[in-house]
Amino acid sequence: MKPASFDYAVPRTVAEAVQALGDTDRTAQVLAGGQSLILEMHLQRIRPQLVVDINRIPELDGMRVDGDELRVGALVRHATFESADAVPGPLGTLLSRAVVNIAHPPIRSRGTMAGSFGWAHPASEWCAIGVALDATVEVTGPDGARSIPARDYFLGPYRTARRPQELITAVRLPLLGENTGVGFIEHRRTHFCFAQVAVAAALTVTDGVISDARIGLVNSADRPLRARAAEQALIGADFAPLPEGPRLPDDHPFARAGRAAAQEDAAPLAEPYADVEYKRQAIAVLVGRTLTEAATDLRSRLAPRQGGPR
Amino acid sequence: MERWTRREDERLLTGKGRYVADIHVPGCLDAAFVRSKVAHGSLRSVDCAAARDVPGVVGAWSAADLPDLPPVPYTLLARLSTEEAVAGREWPALVKDRVRYPGEALAVVLGEDRYRAEDGAAEVTAVVDPLPAVVTPSAALDDSVRLFDGLSNTALRGEAGAPIDPAVWQDAAAVVEATYRQQLLMPSPMECRTILAVPEGDRLTVWSGHQMPHRLRRELAALLGWSADRIRVVVPDTGGAFGSKSAAFPEFVVVAYLAVTLGRPVRWIEDRLESMLVATRGRGQDQTVRLAADAEGRLLAYELTINADVGAYPHLGVGLPMQTAWMAPGAYTTPHVHATLRSVLTNTMVTYPYRGAGRPEAAIAIERTMDLLARRLGVDPIELRRRNFIPPDAFPYDTPTGRRYDSGNYAAALDLALETVGYTEWRAEQARRRSDPDALPLGIGVSCYVERSGGEPGGLHEFGSLEVHEDGTVTARCGAAPSGQGHETVFPALVAKTLGIPEAQVRLVEGDTDEQPEGLGSFASRSAQVDGAMFQQTAGLLIEQARERAARLWDLPVDKVAWADGSVHTTSGDSAVLGLAELVKATGPLRVESRYEAGMAFPFGAHVAVTEVDPDLGTVNVLRLVAVDDCGVVLNPTVVHGQAYGSAVQGIGQALYEGMTFDADGVPHLASGFLDYLLPTYTEIPPIEIKDTCTPSPSTPLGAKGAGESGCIGTPAAIVNAVADALRIADPDLLQMPLTPDSVWRAARAPKHEEGVR
Amino acid sequence: MKITLTVNGTAHALDVEPRRLLADVLRDDLGLTGTHLGCEHGICGACSVLMDGEAVRACLVLAVQCDGRSIRTVEGLAGPDGEPHPLQRAFSAEHALQCGFCTPGFLMVAAGALDADPDLADKPDAIEGVVGSNICRCTGYEPIRRAIARAAREKRETTA
Repeated sequence: MKPASFDYAVPRTVAEAVQALGDTDRTAQVLAGGQSLILEMHLQRIRPQLVVDINRIPELDGMRVDGDELRVGALVRHATFESADAVPGPLGTLLSRAVVNIAHPPIRSRGTMAGSFGWAHPASEWCAIGVALDATVEVTGPDGARSIPARDYFLGPYRTARRPQELITAVRLPLLGENTGVGFIEHRRTHFCFAQVAVAAALTVTDGVISDARIGLVNSADRPLRARAAEQALIGADFAPLPEGPRLPDDHPFARAGRAAAQEDAAPLAEPYADVEYKRQAIAVLVGRTLTEAATDLRSRLAPRQGGPR
Repeated sequence: MERWTRREDERLLTGKGRYVADIHVPGCLDAAFVRSKVAHGSLRSVDCAAARDVPGVVGAWSAADLPDLPPVPYTLLARLSTEEAVAGREWPALVKDRVRYPGEALAVVLGEDRYRAEDGAAEVTAVVDPLPAVVTPSAALDDSVRLFDGLSNTALRGEAGAPIDPAVWQDAAAVVEATYRQQLLMPSPMECRTILAVPEGDRLTVWSGHQMPHRLRRELAALLGWSADRIRVVVPDTGGAFGSKSAAFPEFVVVAYLAVTLGRPVRWIEDRLESMLVATRGRGQDQTVRLAADAEGRLLAYELTINADVGAYPHLGVGLPMQTAWMAPGAYTTPHVHATLRSVLTNTMVTYPYRGAGRPEAAIAIERTMDLLARRLGVDPIELRRRNFIPPDAFPYDTPTGRRYDSGNYAAALDLALETVGYTEWRAEQARRRSDPDALPLGIGVSCYVERSGGEPGGLHEFGSLEVHEDGTVTARCGAAPSGQGHETVFPALVAKTLGIPEAQVRLVEGDTDEQPEGLGSFASRSAQVDGAMFQQTAGLLIEQARERAARLWDLPVDKVAWADGSVHTTSGDSAVLGLAELVKATGPLRVESRYEAGMAFPFGAHVAVTEVDPDLGTVNVLRLVAVDDCGVVLNPTVVHGQAYGSAVQGIGQALYEGMTFDADGVPHLASGFLDYLLPTYTEIPPIEIKDTCTPSPSTPLGAKGAGESGCIGTPAAIVNAVADALRIADPDLLQMPLTPDSVWRAARAPKHEEGVR
Repeated sequence: MKITLTVNGTAHALDVEPRRLLADVLRDDLGLTGTHLGCEHGICGACSVLMDGEAVRACLVLAVQCDGRSIRTVEGLAGPDGEPHPLQRAFSAEHALQCGFCTPGFLMVAAGALDADPDLADKPDAIEGVVGSNICRCTGYEPIRRAIARAAREKRETTA
């Protein structure tokens, strides 16, 4: 399980990194957190000839709010998002609810959000949130910098629109307003495996009506997926009080959205212990539950402002 | 000493433990194996030439390059294999012409370190023409694909008990039938397998994380054609074993052979990906059962039919399923029990003992079926068990399958388990939830198991010795080889107590064939039962010798010399007293050798699980697990409870998480290692309570029975029964381990059994 | 490639191949074999060490990445006078180890958490996060949880 030999470059600037990646004679991999890359090298599924370690490029570190967007530098570690206060508003809540599903503390202290976008695993939590919220991936290559909308970025399992000579410098996520509630629920067999299915949801309510809905599906296709049919099923619906009991009635908008996500949006791939039929079931159930969580989150957000009990 | 609970702890907690991979031998070469990517195929060619040119590679060989490479040995110990089963079915240490399991070694590369060895292995090319693969006994049974040309895949047939008169089934008030799959499991000790072979003069020293050093010495000597005294096997710290580290594996054969041939130290430190492919598997049975009872719920007959998956070669475990047949009756007085089995070769790495080793398969089959029968009869599963337990006064009890249970009080264990879990309260909660459409279904499952410990006839003994030094300290030696059981703490304490000297004066040396010339090892939960009794006997012999020496010294009859608190003294009341140190100084070295033969013991217990099922997702949430074990007299409760807890977690693993699926070509989906094969992690662990009852074994002087395997044996059926109880499914075959969410979701949608019945 | 690694307070000048994992360099080049390799793909955590105070999988970090950084291994856990770390004592007291192979990894993840948070004793979730970071096949985890909680309490009492 030892990695095969490779050359190693430690650029100090983005320009140096791009120059290193521009060496087309050698297959190159960018090393940020390395928690997927080095794992895959152990498993002999990746054998790069050049590893470009970007950890010593100061300009890639740090996260900042830029207008109505959060800009997450390529070296920002997963663990940064464990506190809901690390990022303003409901986006901080969403990221904090998602991040605890990413492996465990020693992995989260190394792995990076941008790295997840670079790796593009279909079961990545960040990538599903990215497509749901219309994130933007910033890359810099020999021809300069460009921004790729998440919807155009993911091409398949581990396949993205990033060119081999390009370096991801940041991921930008739109901030969410206070009239948005968020939820994230992951379903997996044990704490130490990828999600069978997970769902990210953000519900925006204007004047008592759902005005926007964002639903991201994890491991529900060969790439991270935004559940547009499910979202459409919600927009314009009354933001009514949640029904009593843990189960949604079949005719509840959230349940309908779940069925739409499972049947129309998702294109699940069979895996050991989760065939397509089961995955569709799990997607339908989890979308309903995650929307419920988002609705509850929104009520708790609105309640203090309306002076009501939390 | 007081700072540390166990003597092992200080070095293991400070990074000073020494496992085989930690041993630095100058000039040692690392072995890496080139492994087949196909499960079954004809080997056309292997080309190692390019590998030999890789910097740092010292050599690369296929079977064709090593015509004298001996084959993998087989074992007759504990009837694990038989001459008939292995006849005509050679297991080459490197594939000669036929690949029979995925990962089977095609070539070996030795490098200056593991990196270089793997560099070389990557350059070896091989051509294998794939053949159809069969990976379950049911698929292999019809011989449409044969692993050995001209020979059936069925390598052994066996039975225990006598065939049951058809009239018994016809006349019974209730007969239930079911089929169960006991899935293949990976024992998964945290340290994979290891061997380091160091030639020195005309001897070979072998370091290995191993359970049976003397067996390894014997088998290596045989395959090298050497006398056993030329080989020393040393077992340093071992990072868990769970049954999986007691054989001479193909890679061991290659490493020992090359070390001797090259005259250089060679080691193989198995990595986790290799382990996933080629470490021995546990369990692996397709079972069908039939159980009959009269109208009062008295068991009439039980039939268990086993098609066992023994893997590609019958050498290590073809007879292992007999353990299931012998233990089929469980805790009950069923008058007619008949277990039959076929051990079937498949294109998987071989099946071999894994914690429980044949007994979980027996316990799960009978305990699941007891619940099925209870539902059929409309009686509480607890009540059904009580009506059929072997009563405490019926021991020793001869089962219809030929076992003689030594002692037991099965109802007492069950009572304690039910009281501890709060059975009545949980049944009330279950009733409440059944009337609440929004509540998650809750189930309660019990499993009353009987196991066997110590070993099988011919392997129930152990060797050891006590040596007194001039400073009065005592060195205890034995043939055992622990992998986490705390022998260094437990055995010296026992010896010290028996001799009446301070614990600190006794030191244990084990796992070294030069120190202890004969031995069996650590398996079958035998530490306390066999080794403990052996040390107690040896300490008695030491006392006798000390008295005899003192008698000669003092010119007294032996019966005038007594032993107390580590000293000999005269019974006449004069002041003559000699401590061990003085005695040795006065009379010379004192070393007592002994061999002790134990009887088989039959630990038992009752495990109760409470589970909650999310029927929409199929997830199972274990709310509570109570494990009551009875392993007779316990020498060290901390050690025994610690093992019981860990064992229960492995039982949870079998019930809910651990298992492997195969692709269309018969290769297991394990390429992502522990991301594919899911061991329980802390997050999955429910509140577990361990308790015990104590029914001493009459077959050893200490009264100890084996401990440590109880959870693997008792826990799985408790959990499966709890899930079946929660879902009230009519068809038990729908629930097969591991109870993954998809399978539970499907079971939850299936028809329920009739209302009004539990 | 030439690097400098400070391990348990001692600086080491090393020349290592870029592909060598931190775990292998610690074990083979520096003889610190207390760091164990259990899975070599980042799952089991037996190889966990502290890198600049933070727990990392030493099998998922290249040694060259650690140039100029400070590494702490299980060998550096005890005090300068050899006094055992509270975690070491607590693991023994709670019988939180059997075969001991995974133990150094658990100790180091716990040590990192304990150093980072003096109030760890009051945060059962954080302790559970530590126990839930690694795999143990012997103990069933609960004794490890108890041991970390015990050490956290003890540490708070001695620093209070």
